[in-house]
Amino acid sequence: MDTRLKHLAEQLDAGLIARREFLRKAAIVTGGTAAGLHALRGMARAQAKAKLRVWLFKSFVTAGNDVVAKHIEAWAKEKNVDVEMDWATFGDREQKFVAAIEAGNPPDMAEMNIYGPMRYKAALRDVTKVASDVAGSKGGLLPFAERAMKLDGKFLGVARYSMTTVFFIRKDIMEAKGLKPPKVYDPEVVEFAKKTQDPSKDLWGFGQTLNRSDDGDGFMDAILMDYGGGVWDKDGKPALGTSFLKQNMAALQFSVDTIKKYGIQPPGVMGWNDVSNNESYMAGKLVTTNNGASLYYAMVSKKHELAHKTLCVLTPGGPAGSYVGSSCYNWAVFQKSQKPDLCEDLIRYLEDEKRFTEYVQVSVGQAGPVYRGRVDNPYWKSDPNFDAMVQNILRSVNIGHPGPMTPAAAEVRGQKILTDMAGRVVVGGLSPEAALKEAHARVEEVFKIRSKA
Amino acid sequence: MATVQPSSPPLPSGERVGVRGGFHPEVRPKPRPGLEPALRRVFGPDYRMGFLFVAPIVVLVLALVAYPFGYAVYLSMTRKYVGMPPVWVGFENYVRLTYDGFFQRAVVNSFTFTFASVAIKTVLGMGMALVLTSKIRFRSFWTGVLLIPWVAPTVVSALNFLWIFDYSLGVLNYLLVHVFGVLAHGVGWLSEPSTAMASVIGVNVWRGFPFFGISFLAGMKAIPGELYEAAAVDGATVLQRFRYVTLPGIRNIVMIVLLLSTIWTFNDFAIVYILTKGGPGGATMVLPVLTYEIAFGAQRLGEAIAVALYMLPALAFVIIVLSNYMRRGRAR
Repeated sequence: MDTRLKHLAEQLDAGLIARREFLRKAAIVTGGTAAGLHALRGMARAQAKAKLRVWLFKSFVTAGNDVVAKHIEAWAKEKNVDVEMDWATFGDREQKFVAAIEAGNPPDMAEMNIYGPMRYKAALRDVTKVASDVAGSKGGLLPFAERAMKLDGKFLGVARYSMTTVFFIRKDIMEAKGLKPPKVYDPEVVEFAKKTQDPSKDLWGFGQTLNRSDDGDGFMDAILMDYGGGVWDKDGKPALGTSFLKQNMAALQFSVDTIKKYGIQPPGVMGWNDVSNNESYMAGKLVTTNNGASLYYAMVSKKHELAHKTLCVLTPGGPAGSYVGSSCYNWAVFQKSQKPDLCEDLIRYLEDEKRFTEYVQVSVGQAGPVYRGRVDNPYWKSDPNFDAMVQNILRSVNIGHPGPMTPAAAEVRGQKILTDMAGRVVVGGLSPEAALKEAHARVEEVFKIRSKA
Repeated sequence: MATVQPSSPPLPSGERVGVRGGFHPEVRPKPRPGLEPALRRVFGPDYRMGFLFVAPIVVLVLALVAYPFGYAVYLSMTRKYVGMPPVWVGFENYVRLTYDGFFQRAVVNSFTFTFASVAIKTVLGMGMALVLTSKIRFRSFWTGVLLIPWVAPTVVSALNFLWIFDYSLGVLNYLLVHVFGVLAHGVGWLSEPSTAMASVIGVNVWRGFPFFGISFLAGMKAIPGELYEAAAVDGATVLQRFRYVTLPGIRNIVMIVLLLSTIWTFNDFAIVYILTKGGPGGATMVLPVLTYEIAFGAQRLGEAIAVALYMLPALAFVIIVLSNYMRRGRAR
């Protein structure tokens, strides 16, 4: 018992103070103690660690995930910050962002893909200062990355690395047949595939789904441009079935022919998802496929027998060139964050060259450069397969090419309109003209809706 | 209400009286045609206490059902992008969907998926229940085994079937081509529109028929054995006993199971999304997947909710018809 209360009780017992007096003084003592404790708690809270919520991308490159987590923990310890890390994969990150933003409870900062700054623009903080500082110290951003990070003159994301796709070839089979890597799809990839495949052994020359998937949609978007067409014109208006109709028809026809006419793709390819070609390639059932560097990482990290039998080359093209879309992962800070300075400090810490190099080295080609200064990192000369990855990143174009990168262009990709178009021809019985017309109507609708926004 | 001395003669309403208490010491109040007598008449004399008891659940229902539903209806009539305030557009989203060919295909696919799945599940579930009511050995064991598909998480089942259906690496083609030699070449189960739809229906049936079977089984066990004995004495065949004793005995259960399964199947997302994502070429696109795609792929929340709500009247109609049917059955 508090000694003051004890003393008062003794006085009451001895009849020195009245009961009312006892109650009054006891109330003052206990109230004062409670107020003091409350003040002490407040002071203790003021000295407690700052808390930061960071959402990270859980990539297939698990070693890279571990390195990022380690770096963040080291920074948190150094700065006496309590960091709550949360991970999201390819499949659930957008849902998490949407839910958190709509609930008004986003994290302080997050690792986003190339669409993130544009999609969540309304909820993101201007990070021009830190983005410019980081870019300035690394020789500047590559053009495709700058276009994605900088919106209306403000940076909404600090670029980190690029994931790109390359053309995977079974080097052993190619050499056994005395062939060279193909540079264009038609006729080189077709001929290459025909000469190397053996359907009787379930070995197929080319594995590229046209089903609803990111892989399929990326391929369709690129091949339209390879043939001189595209979904959008240079002003960002729909051109799929209008000004680029002829070129797009040729590209669509070729894509469909790889399955229906040339017979160079496995029979189940229209049922594939984003990992099916990885599985098929690693199972030894494909001679060539388009995929991200994560496939190479998976083979190298697992010491897969095909790792050293694989050649990564530039993505083949068409009559108008070879177009590749690469992602640009980046750090974004949310407007609701109460600690933007801490977020920026963490970004600077993570983008420090020493730490980033550690990340790159475990990523086996997946963490491609987005800054000019990082292109010359000796790491990219350490494996012949890395050259195609860097070169593909250097020539990357954004969605919406040759026009600007727009929400409508992102939505067309998000709704898988291009793979639906191909699928309607391959399995839906539509003519390429009808499928193009149908897809163009959907693109027009998206454009109209987004224009109203 | 004012009280009147028992000895007082009846007075016209509003006449001055010298009583104490009531609303006015000197005025006899008019019998109020107002709220209270009406409430007492409708809800009983303890209606205040009743309201008190009912209030928590009413608040809960309003907060957890009515408000979200009302807000969803409101959002479906807006142009709403992630992180931006909604803009009222009235019925624009619904009108646009009505004329959207891709949406129309999704509606047709949803009905195909739902009705085919529910029909097959009903037949299989009935078969399962009939087998389990017959005298077989290890009946409890078989009941447990048949429940496994229902108990297994949908995502796990769907991922397993994704592998099973794979053209090159899947076990189904391996069995059909290499083990049993039934086919010369494998089938692209998920790569052709017809087989893809059949595959997603098959997985839904595999997962859902035990629920039908167990529910029907419970109903069959409640039918008195004397009815079967009487039917047998009257010379009824097995089929006649099933037609005239079993089916009427489990009619209400069948209706409830059909009702629930129709709603669940219509809203099934995981199986279609994991197996085909609506492909190939939109051939298996159903409304839940389309809703998801518009919400998270296109990030147009207002239109996504409009997709989700579009078929609500149709589902409500099914529910009302089935409920009425059950009520009529009970009344008879």
